[in-house]
Amino acid sequence: MKVLVSSIEDVFREAAARWTLIAYFFLSSLFLIIFASAINLDIVDGALAGAKLFGKEVQMNDSMSIEKLVLGFETGFSAILYFLCTFMAIFATAHLVPRLQEKGTIDLYLSRPVSRTGLLLSRYVAGLILAATNIVYLIGSIWAIVVWKTGVANPRFLLAGAIILFVIATLLAFAFLVGVVTSSTAVSIMTTYGLFFFALMLVAHERIEAAVSKEWQATLIKTLYWVIPKTAELGQAVVAFVAGENVPARVAAVLTPAPFVTTAAFGVACLVLASWMFQRKEF
Amino acid sequence: MTSVIEVAGLRKTFASRLGKARITALDGIDFSVQPGELFGLLGPNGAGKTTTVKILLGLTRATEGSARVCGLPVGDPESRRTVGYLPEGHRIPSYLTANQALAIFGRMSGMDKKAVQQRSGELLEKVRLTPWADIRIKKFSKGMTQRLGIACALVHAPDVLLLDEPTDGVDPVGRREIRDLLREEARGGTAILLNSHLLSEIELTCDRVAVLRGGRVAVQGTIEELTRRKGAQYKMVATPVDESLVASFRESGAGVERVNGHMLVSVDDLQHLNTLVDRLRASGGVLSELSPVRSTLEDVFVDLVRASDVMVGGTEEVQP
Repeated sequence: MKVLVSSIEDVFREAAARWTLIAYFFLSSLFLIIFASAINLDIVDGALAGAKLFGKEVQMNDSMSIEKLVLGFETGFSAILYFLCTFMAIFATAHLVPRLQEKGTIDLYLSRPVSRTGLLLSRYVAGLILAATNIVYLIGSIWAIVVWKTGVANPRFLLAGAIILFVIATLLAFAFLVGVVTSSTAVSIMTTYGLFFFALMLVAHERIEAAVSKEWQATLIKTLYWVIPKTAELGQAVVAFVAGENVPARVAAVLTPAPFVTTAAFGVACLVLASWMFQRKEF
Repeated sequence: MTSVIEVAGLRKTFASRLGKARITALDGIDFSVQPGELFGLLGPNGAGKTTTVKILLGLTRATEGSARVCGLPVGDPESRRTVGYLPEGHRIPSYLTANQALAIFGRMSGMDKKAVQQRSGELLEKVRLTPWADIRIKKFSKGMTQRLGIACALVHAPDVLLLDEPTDGVDPVGRREIRDLLREEARGGTAILLNSHLLSEIELTCDRVAVLRGGRVAVQGTIEELTRRKGAQYKMVATPVDESLVASFRESGAGVERVNGHMLVSVDDLQHLNTLVDRLRASGGVLSELSPVRSTLEDVFVDLVRASDVMVGGTEEVQP
């Protein structure tokens, strides 16, 4: 426990000293300011009389209620937040292993009575806590602004942060694995972003499989689809979860255990492999 | 007395990535360090000193042999609970202050917050960094960073201290303070293994040394043993000394060399030396100084590194 507390303190102090924390929360705050100033609602006697989004008048009709409007833009923003939170989190935490493995630094940490796995996992948890702090700040603030401006509280929007954190946890595990192998922050960030986008493309794996000329290529695509994280499906899951019953059936269909289970398996495999390699590594 | 560091038959071979080229860094070394002992590890670059220390800390694994710290195998993280380490060219995160660094490394060593706070104050006082306690390390000079590194190694009051070039970048006054600090720790029962290129530092600080060469212990013993010349040689200052007296000394079998107004006399034993003193007095000479002549550790080191096969003062044989 003391190791975990030390690692969390170390990670947060480093993030603060290297401006990562400030940049992280500055960008989030900028997003919040834009969001807060973009929404202008005209509410008369508790009913929505008119609304402007980014200065544009929202077409109102009899079926448009304030609840529906809030749900609409929370659903839309959840997709943006999925990308924003994930990208910022990887950028802010991918250095944790490469910096730890620097000559002259790793000796100081490993000369303590700490198991290597314990040290690596404590850094991983510290990185996740840093990412979670930002998610809570960003999503919590947006939720609070919406409640303040409309009086509508949609708890599903808050809980969507958990799915985003789950994706970050998986990608961070991959970044840690790359960090252990290469000791390079740049390579960790690039490969993790690469994985994210490659996985997005694989959502169309069935069409790709049909388009390739050889069977082994189709098998490879299919295997890759099942092995790597389902970043596209999980993004859709965030949207579907926030929208609840109002989501289109095509999007709601991804809210099944399969993308979560396979993605979690990938993350756990990456962490186990990273721990094993870190354990065996000679410094 | 039980040794706190025990190294037996330690071998380490590094292989290239494809496993074709193999380099033997350690070729079966043995040594032990007792509680309260200041032990120096010497050797030219590539002799295996750092590899030995890294094996003791579990940073790298031995190919063969065994190494134990405080009775525990070095692969067990618990063996490091009572070990303090100062690596060469250490990089304590520069964004931390001295107090924060001590807090993080202290807690990683199992200390609670209150104990760390108390110990930090004492240590920063000892290494003269109290006024800098809350300043970020990036503002520190090299000597200050080194002194903080020693404080970090000592924060959990270890029983074993492994120091790699502890006085690197430290000014002469600071060096003396570090030496005094290490002696104080040793007096308190801490076993200290010192790895340094500064032979004068080792000579001034250590009780016993091992010289590594080519991955083997070329020689080990006390400073006294290593620096004692073969056959006793003494510096004799006396007046008057004429040629007949010198001839009389030589007749007795002593070697005599006249150097800058004094004599260097080589004798077989103390009895022989006393015979020479008697002859001096009998000839009306007055003795004003008589002292044994020793090699410096640097002389021993250079000779060992140059020699292919040397035997020194009853210690281990140098391997080719």
